[in-house]
Amino acid sequence: MELRETFLSALRTLGSHKMRSALTMLGIIIGAGSLVAVMSLIAGLNQSVTAQFQSVGTDIISVSHFPWVQMGDSDEYRNRKRITIHDSDAIASLPSIGLVAPNIHTRRGISYGGESMRRVRVSGTTPEYETIDNYSVESGRFITQFDVERRRQVVVIGSDVSEKLFGFRDPLGKNMQIGGKGFVVIGILDEKGDIFGDSLDEHVIVPFTTFRKAFGSRRSVVVDCQPAAGVPMARAIDDIRALMRIRRQVPRDKPDDFAINTQEDLTASYKQLTGVLYFAMTGIVALALLVGGIGVMNVMLVSVAERTREIGVRKAIGARRRDVTSQFLIESVILTALGGALGIGGGAGLALLVRVATPLPAATTPGAVALAVAFSLITGIVFGVYPAIRAGRLNPIQALSYE
Amino acid sequence: MLIQLEGVTKIYEVGTEKVNALGGVSLSIEKNEYIAIMGPSGSGKSTLMNVIGCLDTPTSGSYCLKGQEVGDLDDDELAEIRSAEIGFVFQTFNLLPRMTAFQNVELPLIYSKAHRRTRAERVWSVMDAVGLRDRAKHRPNELSGGQRQRVAIARALINAPSIILADEPTGNLDSGTGEEIMQVFEGLHKAGNTIILVTHEEYIAEHANRIIRLHDGLIASDERSAGASSPTRPVGSTERA
Ligand SMILES: Nc1ncnc2c1ncn2[C@@H]1O[C@H](COP(=O)(O)OP(=O)(O)OP(=O)(O)O)[C@@H](O)[C@H]1O
Ligand SMILES: [Mg+2]
Repeated sequence: MELRETFLSALRTLGSHKMRSALTMLGIIIGAGSLVAVMSLIAGLNQSVTAQFQSVGTDIISVSHFPWVQMGDSDEYRNRKRITIHDSDAIASLPSIGLVAPNIHTRRGISYGGESMRRVRVSGTTPEYETIDNYSVESGRFITQFDVERRRQVVVIGSDVSEKLFGFRDPLGKNMQIGGKGFVVIGILDEKGDIFGDSLDEHVIVPFTTFRKAFGSRRSVVVDCQPAAGVPMARAIDDIRALMRIRRQVPRDKPDDFAINTQEDLTASYKQLTGVLYFAMTGIVALALLVGGIGVMNVMLVSVAERTREIGVRKAIGARRRDVTSQFLIESVILTALGGALGIGGGAGLALLVRVATPLPAATTPGAVALAVAFSLITGIVFGVYPAIRAGRLNPIQALSYE
Repeated sequence: MLIQLEGVTKIYEVGTEKVNALGGVSLSIEKNEYIAIMGPSGSGKSTLMNVIGCLDTPTSGSYCLKGQEVGDLDDDELAEIRSAEIGFVFQTFNLLPRMTAFQNVELPLIYSKAHRRTRAERVWSVMDAVGLRDRAKHRPNELSGGQRQRVAIARALINAPSIILADEPTGNLDSGTGEEIMQVFEGLHKAGNTIILVTHEEYIAEHANRIIRLHDGLIASDERSAGASSPTRPVGSTERA
């Protein structure tokens, strides 16, 4: 029997049982839909995280008393000794280390004129921070050594702060309030973008020394640094680790009580996260397709039983086994293909919604669509084969006398 | 010789019991014969039709169709013989309900892999032969019993089979409509077709040139009537519809 005829006849049959066909497709719709949706979200996540990584800089080493990605016992973290400015100086004196920028952070309310912003990230640091942490100044200047030495009440502001507090006015030279203290704006930073809905541009940077005087000197210091020219990353890290263990008197058999963060760690833990997501997705999709597939098989078995007489007639007028088998197989594949198409549409729609409504740039890739199509078709074949073979093997006389 | 049966038996096993549906039937049928098979219920008429129609194979004995032994063939080979050589007409019509009359008639052509372009032409010609050109777009439930049976006959004719097998074709029709259907068979016989039909009615059987009576799976009598159309016309002298 020609494929075209089989196809048309299958569509006719499915069309005459619309409700049943739709319910059968549900599992496949959910399976294909969640596959496309989750893969689109991960693609979006990849995109925004890659952008974020680039903004961090590839050769940064960041020494802090908490790691960037925390795992396990948080009590242990809380009891750790602070890292001090003396640790930062010691790291700076290592021959394998180039630039060093100690930095400390808090959140404070800020205001100018009638405008104010709450809980803005305030950082205190030194001039090297601009290079190491990939900042660039749009207008004015960054903090200088002179500002640090003199503890000047000056501030470099993020682009969001400039926009929200000053609007169309030029912020440079204006006197603004940070945590109730007056600061003169000396520079405006280039836009850095968002990470998970959190703006990187709601940020103000003041000299390290000024920060300690204004907001307290007891905070643990983060030491951002780069290896000296020509020194491999791994050696610089080893040197820092050895130095810090001695300075903090960590016993030989104990793990580090501080963290050395690199972009590589971030990438590794991000990969771990997406790995978990993929794993969970595989589970959901497999389950949905299994449920959908069993539904398809059930409906096809019912369909074969209902149409036993029809099968008998078809055989009597010349249908061979494979004509009947392929007819039923194509019906089940059409069922799952249709379900898959609806699911892909739904998943892609969901991804689009996320893209429009949230900062996550979710994107449906051709790969995700291809995978969903393949899964739908395979489900149709795998779960349709048994009923189809049963239909093909029916004895024509018994089928014809079936009531 | 079109059909040659030699000592054909068919034994059904139901549980431990054996039913001798055919107890050794020998029979030969020429091209263009018009045969009525009669006999009491359960005498094996339908079983014999199924064997002749290659829906079933004999338990023992030999059945040659056009010189080919059918007993040795597998499922798919039997299907191809049914497709090429046999046209079935059933008591209950057995049209596919979701298809139009036209599509029902066309279906055997699809299984015999007739080219799509020639199909419509052939469907129209057999629809004309049964006088149903104007009902082609109707579905079975939009047709009368007699019209349905004519669609079924058109479907049986479409592949120009060697034999048309009709098991009680008028059994579900009133006598007037039954008579109309018999006129259709009459016409087909005149056009050179070989027809075997099963009936319980003497007046239906009288249309045939030869009446075979079965009793308990055996041939009780086999009579040729001296009708106008001779049942032993020379092979090859006729043209099929
Ligand atoms: N599939 C089967 N399994 C077991 N026995 C069967 C089967 N088909 C037919 N028989 C038996 O074989 C015998 C002949 O049946 P068959 O259908 O050929 O009779 P028939 O002459 O066509 O009867 P009717 O006039 O009622 O149609 C019957 O005794 C019947 O019970
Ligand atoms: Mg019968």
